[in-house]
Amino acid sequence: MKHIALLLMVVLLVIAGCAPKQVQTVPPVAVTTTQDRTLSDEERARITEEELARAERDRLLREQERLAGILKDVLFDFDSYAVSNNELPKIEGVSSFMKQDRNVKMVVEGHCDERGTVDYNLALGQKRSEAVKNYLIKLGIEPARIRTISYGKELPAETGQSEESWAKNRRAHFKIDQKG
Amino acid sequence: MKRNSILILALAMACIMICASVSNAKVYLDVYGTTFKKITIGVPAFKGEQADKSVSEMSDVLNRDLDLSGFFITAPASLIDKELLNEGIEKTEVKFASWRSIGIDLVCKARVQVVNGELSLEAFVYDTLDGALMLAKRYKAKTSEWRRVTHRLADDIIFAATGEKGIMSSRILFTAGRRNLKEVYLSDFDGQNVTRLTNYRSITLSPSLSPNGKYLAYTSYKEGRPNLYVSDFDNKSEIFVDRSEGMKIGTAWSNNSTLVYSHTSGRTSTIYAFDVGSRSKRVLLQRDGILTSPTVSSDGSRLVFVSDMYGTPQIFSKMLPSGEAKRLTYHGNYNSAPAFSPKGDLVVFACKVGGFEICTMNADGSNQRVLTNDGSVNDSPQFSPCGRYIIYTSMKGGVNKVNVMLFNGENKRTLRFTDFAEEQPKFVP
Repeated sequence: MKHIALLLMVVLLVIAGCAPKQVQTVPPVAVTTTQDRTLSDEERARITEEELARAERDRLLREQERLAGILKDVLFDFDSYAVSNNELPKIEGVSSFMKQDRNVKMVVEGHCDERGTVDYNLALGQKRSEAVKNYLIKLGIEPARIRTISYGKELPAETGQSEESWAKNRRAHFKIDQKG
Repeated sequence: MKRNSILILALAMACIMICASVSNAKVYLDVYGTTFKKITIGVPAFKGEQADKSVSEMSDVLNRDLDLSGFFITAPASLIDKELLNEGIEKTEVKFASWRSIGIDLVCKARVQVVNGELSLEAFVYDTLDGALMLAKRYKAKTSEWRRVTHRLADDIIFAATGEKGIMSSRILFTAGRRNLKEVYLSDFDGQNVTRLTNYRSITLSPSLSPNGKYLAYTSYKEGRPNLYVSDFDNKSEIFVDRSEGMKIGTAWSNNSTLVYSHTSGRTSTIYAFDVGSRSKRVLLQRDGILTSPTVSSDGSRLVFVSDMYGTPQIFSKMLPSGEAKRLTYHGNYNSAPAFSPKGDLVVFACKVGGFEICTMNADGSNQRVLTNDGSVNDSPQFSPCGRYIIYTSMKGGVNKVNVMLFNGENKRTLRFTDFAEEQPKFVP
């Protein structure tokens, strides 16, 4: 089932990728022929393209929502790279997702809040992403399917200056590895 | 024969005494003392300044520089009356008693001329107490360089008054940009001539220039993960320092060709010394957990770094090549981002005391002082090449700005280079 969904995704992507080119190349050719036909051709092309794009958007949105339900940020305490017990189910969720779909590769991003020094936070982010990676490996995921990357405090999820925002920024963030 | 030798001895003595009197030029301010009194200086508009529009702000810029230096109180223009404004610049023309009567210790008189795009500036600084000539200098440059000429004069005045050159002619290296788009910049200290050194449309971090200015080290995400590079300006080439898995941050050069950097990956962190010439690296230190912010004293004898080996980030020191790591900070649960003073006697760092504040300590960890107190995040402190100033970032409303202060925490000023948030500033000699 997963494979079919993935195949569909690829097919849709290919179609969506080709569609704009058709629109751009049709008019110059069509202009030289009868105008009525060109318009309808153009319109038809546009309609099908719009429909495709809408379907693709909807699908991507649904996919994002589905992934967001699975790929939840693992949160950390200030200046800590220890994964607390109540965050473990999030990693377990990701692990079962990766076990269901053997083709999925994952990037674990390590992030910090804006407090603390730039250099130390870069190292801390690395440690956070590796702590999550290690737990995934413990749960039976092959190490080669997980990449880690630290962004320190460069890419906060929220920009506010409250403990609430900071807590959301001290995180390990999962991303499907598109390269893999 | 004996008489001759006595004569020679006397001559030699006289020679030494003359030399001594020249080299021991009067230092007006001993800024290394615990406190010092600022010198009041009067800088009236330069003669000839109004004649050419392009140089009409020279005396204003000089006043601003002297004020920014933290060693002077600059007399406001309203204090200097017309009679004093109109007098000449030669010693015989200056009414020292009048200057003294309005509380001015030093007066700087200058004449500027512009001929065919060439600027010539003649400047005198007098002590109003006895009319002694403290400084007499002539500068020639292209008219477009008028700001730099003024900064040089400011630095020369600061040298004459304090015994060491000022920082007004120096340049600042820093990172600036928006989210996901951060580049390395170089700018004059006054915010003029801002040049972007990198253009990777990615995140670029922790830039540091080799002492001779030939190499720029930085960490960039341009290849999708944080890799460490060195740009060779002479050969216009790029050297891959470390592209392995994990976080690589180069923070300091220990000499013109050796970059010291930290690498965090897997269970351990490692501090390496990378030689740009041979492209080889050697391990200075390896530990479990985090090791970061390595920096080496200018004589190359000591390494200072941050480690979390006791649970929180603390600063450690290690004699090179093979000393034991000694812990320097015990106060609080967050001490990071250390940097040596040029003489190696002090270490400046960031500590958590409520907010993140800038602190200094002796290189052995004694005599810790907190220099900022605004409760925000102050980070990335670095000494100026003369050792009297500290440049650092301070976060205001979530945006980082570059600040500078004297090494004792006085005279805090915000510098402005770009419209972006600015981070990781460093003085470029």
